[in-house]
Amino acid sequence: MNEEILNALTEIFRDIFDNEDIVATPALCADDVEEWDSLSHIQLVVAIEKHWHIKFTAREIMKWQNVGEMAQGIADKIA
Amino acid sequence: MLINSLSFLAFFAIVVVVYFAPVVQRNSLRQNLWLLLASYVFYGLADWRMVPLLLGATVVFYGLGAAVKRMMNHERWKAASRLTTLAAALGIALLLYFKYLDFFGQSFATMLAAMGFQVSWTTLHILVPVGVSFFTFKLISYVVEIHRERIEPTHDFVQFATYIAFFPTIMSGPIDRPGKFLPQLQRQHSFDEPLALDGCRQVLWGVFTKMCVADNLALLTGSVWGMPADFPASRLLVAALLFPLQMYADFAGYSDMAIGVAKVLGFRVERNFNHPYLARNVAEYWRRWHMSLTSWITDYVFMPLNISMRNWGRWGTIIAVMVNLIVIGLWHGANWTYAVFGLYHALLFIPLVFSGSFGRNRKLKPSAHGLPKGSDFLKMLGTYCLVAIGLLIFQAPSLSRLWEYIAALFRPSLFTLPPLGLPWFTYVGLAMLVACEWLCRNREHPLQFLHGPAARSRAVRWGIYYALILCIFFFQGETQQFIYFQF
Repeated sequence: MNEEILNALTEIFRDIFDNEDIVATPALCADDVEEWDSLSHIQLVVAIEKHWHIKFTAREIMKWQNVGEMAQGIADKIA
Repeated sequence: MLINSLSFLAFFAIVVVVYFAPVVQRNSLRQNLWLLLASYVFYGLADWRMVPLLLGATVVFYGLGAAVKRMMNHERWKAASRLTTLAAALGIALLLYFKYLDFFGQSFATMLAAMGFQVSWTTLHILVPVGVSFFTFKLISYVVEIHRERIEPTHDFVQFATYIAFFPTIMSGPIDRPGKFLPQLQRQHSFDEPLALDGCRQVLWGVFTKMCVADNLALLTGSVWGMPADFPASRLLVAALLFPLQMYADFAGYSDMAIGVAKVLGFRVERNFNHPYLARNVAEYWRRWHMSLTSWITDYVFMPLNISMRNWGRWGTIIAVMVNLIVIGLWHGANWTYAVFGLYHALLFIPLVFSGSFGRNRKLKPSAHGLPKGSDFLKMLGTYCLVAIGLLIFQAPSLSRLWEYIAALFRPSLFTLPPLGLPWFTYVGLAMLVACEWLCRNREHPLQFLHGPAARSRAVRWGIYYALILCIFFFQGETQQFIYFQF
């Protein structure tokens, strides 16, 4: 997994969830983070798209089940 | 056959004995075939005329799931998307035809008549299949989940048909997701004693809340809608304030029975309620109430909408919430009251979206006395009142009757002592239900004894079971149909 992407995701997560303890690891999922609900998920997507200047389809977003899949989606777009 | 009836008990006993008989238990196919047969018999006893529809829809969606996967394997993404859309449209068409055709036809004719056109709509009196709102959602989610690559299609038709028709949940849910339920059908089930005992306890609690609380409260809340003005306003107010508890005792009671019955067979089905009246705002309430429906609609309606409008900021969220809640309202049936109910809740969400309280709430922490903190308690009370107003809209037979009810509330008789005429045990049952909501908030159901004297002493546990059984025998109300069976 691209370390750089995970580090950037950690920063985005901390900003969106307002929680400095969060570390974006590939296995992390919504069930592990109390603040991660459907609304903050959308905020996350918007922040990710803005950060990397990319655009995901609804299907790509709905497919993600954890941070690893999210990071892989980002890696595929910026490759 | 009501799930809390003696005939169901006899039916279920036969199902369990055969399901765990050595010759059936030997492999999962035999067990699934038996479950499928039992489920179709159960469904047929409710309405045998709808069995072909259930079977036909199951066959069609099984084929659609396989076809979507085949197209994805051949990287024909657009064709797979089109087929998934077709599956969703088919499911919605099924619902529209059986539940809403008369309603929309009548409404359209009324609208045209109001515009001066001479149009008439002959009511078709279409027979609504039992549980159609529940099994249709399962059918749709199966194909959509395959398209989202969250599940693999099952190659075993018996497994799929058993998932759709699973008798404990086909009438009124919970609406199980294929990703969680299908894997359970893939393995052979031997009798899991701790799970089965927990299931029996959950059934006991469900029967108690349904028969001793909901059915008794129905005496008060059911009668007032005939002619609201005939009743003192104070009685109308108490009926409106108690209906949320009746509805909860009825529907959560049913869900407890369905989940408990499934546990006896070795299945874990979706949780449907998480102490909804401990919610401190309406958004939290919807995360705790009828969770299998709200999470379904959140995943398949709210999320795609909100994702497509993600750059509109909060307005995108508000539009998605509005659509989401109106869909939830209309899912309950063909009546404008359900649409207004959804709209009412959507309007309550707007301040929450703007204030940032829409998201998850912090955990409930008790005060030093073990009770809810004052501020939390006030928020719970306020949310309960807002929900009660919403349920007033929900239970009204029509918008004009709702208006009559509200007008009848504002009369001098509001300040009189209401003649309730409820059996005394109703109040005891209500007090038990409310106390358990708070004290057992970290458990799946109140009879899961994790600590305290009941966890330590078998005599205390059995004392509680016997007390509940005696209450059911002596203090049950007149048997009422489950409120959610009509949906």
